[in-house]
Amino acid sequence: MSRFWKCTLGIFLGLVLIAFACLSFRAGSPKDVYGMVRYAFPHMHRGKLRAGDDAPNVRLLALDGSNHFHLRERTGSRPLVVIFGSYT
Amino acid sequence: MVKIYNDYKDRADFLTVYVREAHPTDEWQMKSNVKEDVCYAQPKTLEQRVAIANDFVQRQKYPLPFGIDDMNNAADLAYSAWPERLYVIDEHGRIAYAGGMGPFKYEPEEVRAWLAKRFGPVTQTSSTAARAK
Repeated sequence: MSRFWKCTLGIFLGLVLIAFACLSFRAGSPKDVYGMVRYAFPHMHRGKLRAGDDAPNVRLLALDGSNHFHLRERTGSRPLVVIFGSYT
Repeated sequence: MVKIYNDYKDRADFLTVYVREAHPTDEWQMKSNVKEDVCYAQPKTLEQRVAIANDFVQRQKYPLPFGIDDMNNAADLAYSAWPERLYVIDEHGRIAYAGGMGPFKYEPEEVRAWLAKRFGPVTQTSSTAARAK
């Protein structure tokens, strides 16, 4: 490999290491960087719903584990605040 | 969000939708979850997801109405919900407020601001005083 390409590769790897170190510092640990890249980054482009769009009507299950309902059944007479999330 | 719920439940409806785990033990587990004993693997069945959701409601004494996403993650995909996100849907079934992707852009105060603009500012103190009248 020519000297130019060795230098370029070295600089590139150095930048990658610096970026990884900065991300590790910000995220908490190298394991969290892996988690962020593996699980969070693929979702970051999503979020296409905007104010004015029709709210998608999705089927949900009640806490009892047996009764279903549709999200839009809860809309109509008052605004509906929807909180999406999980325990972990 | 529980505070906002308590302040505005007489004026707006609320629904919590439980989606895929954000930090399960078999994926990207956070140290804070271990510390708080919130350790669950990513559910593989709807029954497992229902069980964790019920655990959450009982342990946190969570008062808001609840719905659980099916294992095809239809709600998550339709609303780009993972890991957490807030929306307000108006009376016509249209999105009135679409929050950012959590955790960094998850802003309950933006929901409060929307509700305050619509119904006026409400706090626990003012709502308690209003009920006492």
